[in-house]
Amino acid sequence: MYISMNELKAALRRCFEASGYFVGNYEDAANMILWLEKHGLHGLNELTNAIDYVAADREKPLSKVVYEDSTSATIDAHGRSALNCGAAAVDLAQAKALESGIATITVHNCHNRMFILKALTDCGRRGISAAAYWQNGSDVITEHTAAIRSGQRYPSYSEALTSLTDSNGTCVGSCEQSSGNTRENKQALTIICSSRVDLTSSLQSKDQHYVSPQQIAENKAQTVEFGIEITQQLWDQINTLGTGILVENTERSRLDAGGG
Amino acid sequence: MTTLAAIDSSLRGKAALPLRPAEQVMDIERLGAFHQSRLSFMRTLVRRIFRERWLIEPVRFDLDHKGYGTVVYEINAPHGVFSFVLFSSFLCDDERNDRVIATQWDLTMALVEGQVDAAYVEKLAQNVPKQEAGRVDSRVFVLSRANRSGRNFDYVVDQLAAGEQPDVDKIAQVGYLYRTTAVYGSGKLGMADWDKVRDKHPDFSRPFAGEMFVCWMLRNFSLLQVEHIAKHKSPDSFKPMRTDIKHYFGIGNSTGLGMAPYLVNHPQLINQWIEMRELALARVRTLGGINSSVQQRLIALIERCSLHTAQTVTGDQRQADHNQRVISDLAALKQQAIENLVSFDSLIHWSEQHCSVHGQEILVSILLELHPELVDELEDFHTVEENLDLEPLMPLQQLKTIIEQRYGWAIAIDFTAEGARDTYWYRSEEKMEPRLGSIADAQGKKKHMDLAVGFAVHRCYQLLCDYIKQHPDHTKHSTARFMVVQPKLRGTVRRIQTMNHCVYGDIQANLLDHNVLPMHLLRCKLAFFGVSKFDPRSRLWVRNTMFQGAPLLEEIGQPFSDDWFMPLAPTHLPT
Repeated sequence: MYISMNELKAALRRCFEASGYFVGNYEDAANMILWLEKHGLHGLNELTNAIDYVAADREKPLSKVVYEDSTSATIDAHGRSALNCGAAAVDLAQAKALESGIATITVHNCHNRMFILKALTDCGRRGISAAAYWQNGSDVITEHTAAIRSGQRYPSYSEALTSLTDSNGTCVGSCEQSSGNTRENKQALTIICSSRVDLTSSLQSKDQHYVSPQQIAENKAQTVEFGIEITQQLWDQINTLGTGILVENTERSRLDAGGG
Repeated sequence: MTTLAAIDSSLRGKAALPLRPAEQVMDIERLGAFHQSRLSFMRTLVRRIFRERWLIEPVRFDLDHKGYGTVVYEINAPHGVFSFVLFSSFLCDDERNDRVIATQWDLTMALVEGQVDAAYVEKLAQNVPKQEAGRVDSRVFVLSRANRSGRNFDYVVDQLAAGEQPDVDKIAQVGYLYRTTAVYGSGKLGMADWDKVRDKHPDFSRPFAGEMFVCWMLRNFSLLQVEHIAKHKSPDSFKPMRTDIKHYFGIGNSTGLGMAPYLVNHPQLINQWIEMRELALARVRTLGGINSSVQQRLIALIERCSLHTAQTVTGDQRQADHNQRVISDLAALKQQAIENLVSFDSLIHWSEQHCSVHGQEILVSILLELHPELVDELEDFHTVEENLDLEPLMPLQQLKTIIEQRYGWAIAIDFTAEGARDTYWYRSEEKMEPRLGSIADAQGKKKHMDLAVGFAVHRCYQLLCDYIKQHPDHTKHSTARFMVVQPKLRGTVRRIQTMNHCVYGDIQANLLDHNVLPMHLLRCKLAFFGVSKFDPRSRLWVRNTMFQGAPLLEEIGQPFSDDWFMPLAPTHLPT
């Protein structure tokens, strides 16, 4: 079925609000998913992987800054989704970049890092260049990067299969040159922001899948024209979760709308 | 033709015009006293249609003798072709319900991009009459429904069939043949998103232009339909309706709480509308010349507003009292306009000392009528890109100062006082209808909507002050750092920072108060739409009339004076 962007955003907001996300966070989460889907980067596929764990974040500790200096910080997200901690990490990177010219934030124990693209894009719109890098998977490891120049509306995005493995902390291929993919820093996300340098990023792999800012803009135009395709199952799942914020209908409740 | 830069320099900086202050304008009671003006969306839409001479004609007219069937109008506007598709169905009187929870209506309608063929109309016929229970595609950008007026519809048909005209005094009681009970756009039910309408269809790229167009077309169709039924009922005795009486028919509207969350959730947009209205007023106060012709026009408009208010029928005592006070305010303003009209600025100051808030605001609308050359060009600046952005680098002391300066009204509210937090807003599982509950319902309160901006800012200020106290080195701390510690405040802080860049900012009200009157919020938005004849049916919903006095479809291409502000009953028109 096809739905509009506004329908998806409204349903996602209800879904995350019902899942215990705070004011501000549930809008961010909805916008992050919508942004990916709207721009052809499969936000609904990402959501499908994440949706069963959305409510669990309520039980986890809040993100914590475990190290900080003027140009960098390390945040422990305690296993939370980037949907509810990613934007704050990018904001911290942006603030440090504005003060120091360039800054790096590393977020540990953070899931669903693909959703960070919306926050990066907001940085670009505000005049700050930003880039991010992360790895995904256990048996088969993929790596991902995205970047946006200052003042631009659309980022670039690349992903590639690596020859890395972390089954027991050992590695193959170019592991030594890589940032390392040990169990200790799994689910890490590195964010770089600069108010002075225009950052671009691309993977070294020859087999990378690269999506240019122009392609992302074209994907958006297509979505604006025709709407978003979604499976009935996922749409129902989102809406079912969202019913958690709705109050049971009663005769007395009907009077709360003014009668008429 | 003005520009964004020119507008900005009129709003801020050394060349700024003397705008009314935010604490005056954004008070909820004053917002609830706003009236239609020549910047209202109905006025701006009609101006555009008539000045651009849109070609609108029925290309399919399949109505039976009782007025049931399908009608398709084709609209040729300067930037595109559109279709207005309308389905008229039989509805029992006892099934007619204006609430959002209704499931059947007399009329259902859709505004569609491009021409429509029979197959597409059939597809619409399977879905449009179902409204919320149906689905449409992204060619559709407005969906609406309407119910016949029980008091007027059959009466008018019978009069016309008998060769008589409707009694104007009766029409003055209920100035419409149909009431629209919902007008949906912006991507609901699979429709095109606003992004698409704004970027692809300049003819409808102003806020709610498509929605207002559908209501105006409904009004035109309603007049056509009653004549069609009457003609078939009694072909020999039938006489068409007099044009001046047709002008006096508008479209009824029932508006409930659903409009209130929109105002709270779109603060930048509402601020933009208010900035344009206040800028128009400041331009007239400062630049609007006065001569005998302008003075006569001012006096005539005051008289017209007085009569219009006198002709407004309401069963609500509070509204009736307001209307009476407005009539006496207008009498005093007329006297002032005759005897002491020095400048518009001084007249505004005089009204602030001698008139009710309702009287003051009707004067604002009148003044905007006097100098269209200073006002009308602002109609193109009612949209805004809505982004509530966090300013992560902002020092916490600056954030604290902004709250004190821009949200002093929220800090000043004593939320521990009796009744200050007695109300909560929620969505019912019944069509997600917004409702207003009592705090006594503990289960429901857990699911409250986050509309209480005043309370959220108040709480944020307390936590910010605590944080600053606990961190003596707070001067080194940025908003971003504070947000990592207090993620629950993220939405509130970025709203504060964003709205700090607006001239008017947030609506100043405690929406949790036991005595809160959502009516003020509804009326504010309805005034921007351009409705008249406010008739509150409770503190939670209001009936009103749209497009009363507006020119008719068949008048496109004829001389157009754009003078249908505060329309009067035909018998009261000067001969």
